[in-house]
Amino acid sequence: METSMQANKEKIDVRKREVGKISSIINKLGVYVLVIALMILGTIISPKFLTASNFMNIIQAVSLLGMVAAGVSFITYSGNFVDMSIPCIMAFSGMIAVDTLRYGIVVSIVCGLLTGSAIGLINGIVVGKLKANPIIWTLSVAFVGNGFMRWFYSGKQIYPDVKGGAAADVFINLSRTDVFGRIPLIVIVMITFMVLGQFVMTKTKFGKQVKLIGSSYEVAKMTGINVNKVVCGAFILSALATSIAGIFLTSLAKTGAFYNGEGYDFNAVTAIVIGGMTLNGGRGDVVGVLGGVLVIGLLSNVMTLIGINTFSQSIVKGIIFIAVVGINARSLRKLGRDDA
Amino acid sequence: MLDRLESLEGMMHNMDKKKLLNKLDYYRIYIIFAIVFILMSLFAPNFLNVFNIVNILKGMSLNAMVAVGFTVVMICGQLDLSIGSNLTLGAMVVIALQPILGWWPSLAVAMIAGSFVGAVNGFLVAKAKIHSFIVTLGTMTIVQGLIFLLSKGSALSVNDFTLADWLEMPKFGFLPPRVIITVSIVLMFFVLIKFTKFGKGFYLVGGNKETAWLAGLNTDLYLILAFILSGLTAALGGALLAMSISSAVPTLGTSSQMVVIAAVIIGGTSMAGGTGDIFRSMIAVIMLVTLFNGLMCCGAGYEVQIFASGLVLAAVVLGESYALYQQDKVKGQRPNLMAELKKGALQ
Amino acid sequence: MFKKSLALIMMGALSISLLSGCGGGGKTAAAAPAETKETAAAPAEEAKSAGGDASDNLTKSLAVDVSTLKSSDNQPLLLATETKEIPERPEDPKALPEEDPLHWYDLEYSGWSAEKVNIPKSPADGAAGKKVTLIVHGDHPYVTAYINGAQKVADAYGMELNVMSPNFNVDVQNQLVDQAINAKPDMIIEIPTDAKVAVQQFRKINQAGIPLIGANTLPEDEGMKYVIGWAGPDDWGQMRMLAKTFAEKMNYEGGYTIAQHAPGGSPYFSRTYGIVTELKKIAPKMKLLDAQAPGFEAEKTMQLTSDWITKFGPELKGIMAADDSAQQIGINEACKNANREDIIRIAAGNSKVGMDSVKAGTVTAITYQSAEADGAVVTKMAADWFNGVEVEPVRYLPKHIITKDDVDQYNNPPQW
Repeated sequence: METSMQANKEKIDVRKREVGKISSIINKLGVYVLVIALMILGTIISPKFLTASNFMNIIQAVSLLGMVAAGVSFITYSGNFVDMSIPCIMAFSGMIAVDTLRYGIVVSIVCGLLTGSAIGLINGIVVGKLKANPIIWTLSVAFVGNGFMRWFYSGKQIYPDVKGGAAADVFINLSRTDVFGRIPLIVIVMITFMVLGQFVMTKTKFGKQVKLIGSSYEVAKMTGINVNKVVCGAFILSALATSIAGIFLTSLAKTGAFYNGEGYDFNAVTAIVIGGMTLNGGRGDVVGVLGGVLVIGLLSNVMTLIGINTFSQSIVKGIIFIAVVGINARSLRKLGRDDA
Repeated sequence: MLDRLESLEGMMHNMDKKKLLNKLDYYRIYIIFAIVFILMSLFAPNFLNVFNIVNILKGMSLNAMVAVGFTVVMICGQLDLSIGSNLTLGAMVVIALQPILGWWPSLAVAMIAGSFVGAVNGFLVAKAKIHSFIVTLGTMTIVQGLIFLLSKGSALSVNDFTLADWLEMPKFGFLPPRVIITVSIVLMFFVLIKFTKFGKGFYLVGGNKETAWLAGLNTDLYLILAFILSGLTAALGGALLAMSISSAVPTLGTSSQMVVIAAVIIGGTSMAGGTGDIFRSMIAVIMLVTLFNGLMCCGAGYEVQIFASGLVLAAVVLGESYALYQQDKVKGQRPNLMAELKKGALQ
Repeated sequence: MFKKSLALIMMGALSISLLSGCGGGGKTAAAAPAETKETAAAPAEEAKSAGGDASDNLTKSLAVDVSTLKSSDNQPLLLATETKEIPERPEDPKALPEEDPLHWYDLEYSGWSAEKVNIPKSPADGAAGKKVTLIVHGDHPYVTAYINGAQKVADAYGMELNVMSPNFNVDVQNQLVDQAINAKPDMIIEIPTDAKVAVQQFRKINQAGIPLIGANTLPEDEGMKYVIGWAGPDDWGQMRMLAKTFAEKMNYEGGYTIAQHAPGGSPYFSRTYGIVTELKKIAPKMKLLDAQAPGFEAEKTMQLTSDWITKFGPELKGIMAADDSAQQIGINEACKNANREDIIRIAAGNSKVGMDSVKAGTVTAITYQSAEADGAVVTKMAADWFNGVEVEPVRYLPKHIITKDDVDQYNNPPQW
């Protein structure tokens, strides 16, 4: 990150200084400009906005999305766009976890995670080694997985308290536990994922390799990075985070069903991209993704407080989404880092 | 040494095989379609009769039309996720305006509405240089929100079935006009894109944007046109469906989107741009409908159908990327030179 | 390292399939004898084998007793169906305000007055051996239970039931309608994806001369012309009953919000305006604060409810949900987190999750809409028609509100 910025310094100098300044501010603060703006707006609108409980609500509501986004950001970072099989992984790992609950909570969670990572592994091998288009491949996995789930459970949903006796309470309470007083476990897990993700992405060898692959696949290959393994690793990491979110979702809904997790694929990519990652890969970081997730939560909160209905909310969200990415792309271009 | 050369000769042989494979790759959708069709004819009850074949053709009408514009966008190396919302828009507009304007003017308005969304997409992609995945994901949400907002979530209908009956009833022999209209529009755009100088520009833009620009093509204009076409055909497809059932629901296109993407890929259009054609996309749509229809004739549920179409898609993607993988392996090697060397060595 | 982890994950996946596979096997093995017991209650096989003689077939079919059948929640499968009082249709319902129940006249009271067109005559030769195609609207656990119920009655009468599902896609359902016509069954039963789209689909089937019964989702009046009859839940009536319970518990005053059904179908309207119009009438002091459609997602509904609690504060006294599973769970969690367990909560539907909440006291009341009975009543209607029995144009499922007092009766075990 540092080195690339220094490398670009010369380019900034030849451009108009003011434009460069504004752009670089936008570029540095990124999505947090929007987060602050929304917070100011919220404070003006409602006196109840600026309370601890309201913030906890916002964060809790987006924490599952945050877990998914933290994982999937590695796929985006490696230049592989997004994993369309996210809903499938979430539903499948949740259902398997419920189904194996009778062997105890540990077995159940491990099985759920293994299921998710198995799908991630398949995706990783095909996308990493054979270089299949990630969107299309994961789409076909989603089709196959979804069909399989419906067939395997013959269109029914399964319940933890029916399937698994004593472990059921533990399972259901997974997403209902508060730690350190009033902070829900899912928020802690989400924050942990974000911190871990940021660490892995910026400080470890693996993260740097992912960045190089995302920035330039050919260069990464020539440098001697085992591209297959790294991309595969990104997919497994993402699937792991996704299946943890899936298990939490299943625990929250008290139901394992094939339709759990619908919409998380596009929501995750929305959060990631608002957070400053580009779909071409190699740009942005997990802190930005956290900002993107927060924006989604704040936006819903503020709009409901104003009293905007669901349909208009989706219009506003769409416009903000395009605008944010547009401004981001523009500022990148102004800084001479256009890679579109 | 000789061993190595012999293995190289084997590779030469492989090169011929590769050419064959390329050919096979080009015609693969016809082969898949033939296999599916023959299998279903043999095993599915009530499958092989004129009425059912017409059903299949009617069933493909919507998605084949939507696939026209989508294929062109893909040829340009872009993606359009807003086709689902766009086709709903076309359907809703045509039904909402029919009582005021009558069928044909409202159809025109629907097509204009679709083209407008497409133009916005194209402008944002070409001029603002935002990734098409993001732009169209955004417009997808916006257009869907607008549809819900304006219709208040309600379906629309017209209690006049004369046009619907005309579109659905077999006219010339056994084909209903809806199918004839769809196929002729598909063929028209197929010829336009594949065989005219103007149309070939799309391939050039998708294949290599720089070269296209250097060759004097207005690449931005081509991109915008591709998105306009995508919006137009999506809205037209939706409108035709709405006209043939005299009603429209605000969630009409939600599931079409993924099916069309799958079909276009199976039809041989590459996500990277520069290849593919509209006719093969249509055959792929027909293949998927045949698969659904045949499995339904066998009494299989929806789960089997998505499972099967997922498998077909997966097989195609796997096959394609495996071929590329093999190609990658021999990249940079020069078998011709080695063959000459070998000849020399033997003399 | 890489290969090791690969092997590990593969092994894990294998062992999982083994574990859950065992469970699945046990499940079906346990379920099989129960099913045979149920079908044994009816002389299905006998009726089928005696299909040769028409009058014989009829007497056999008429002799079938389905009243002993039970749904999987141990309730009688076929309950006495209800009728409904139909008010005068206003000149232009859409001109009335949305809070007026008559604004929704065409959605609520469809079907009774429609003039029938080109309805085939009943063959009156018995239901046994008849082929019936059931086109549902999509895959959902409710629909799975629905099909089970329909299958039980079909088995009892010895009818052959063929199910088609378009997964909530109008375009695909159109294809299925054509395909069903092509297969020329003795009858088609269709759950339309939408009340308005139903018209042309029903018309097509009617013109093909195939007897048709509408199910579950009430079509527009225009579509009712083409069906022998329609059977399903009275969603509007249920919502009015639910609204009465809601008003009682709220002491006929205070603000409330509604988490709506997903748009694009009739429940979106019935489960919003059924409540709104009824409360306007019986409890004018109750005030609708907001109504939004968060989809059937626990997480999103949780956020929405938290936002409501923040925005309206103590003004918010009650919440109605269009779905008693995922949506209701989101609402419950939000209330718990905000320490607002005092909020009165009601919901539509009777899933297991909803009934558990009623039992736990977090939800005050839910509707009893038996999915299996829904499927059964429509199949029974088909059988009646084949048997030459008079069929009324509309058969409503009985309405009932489940509260803490009688939840145990319906929760042993739940249908879905």
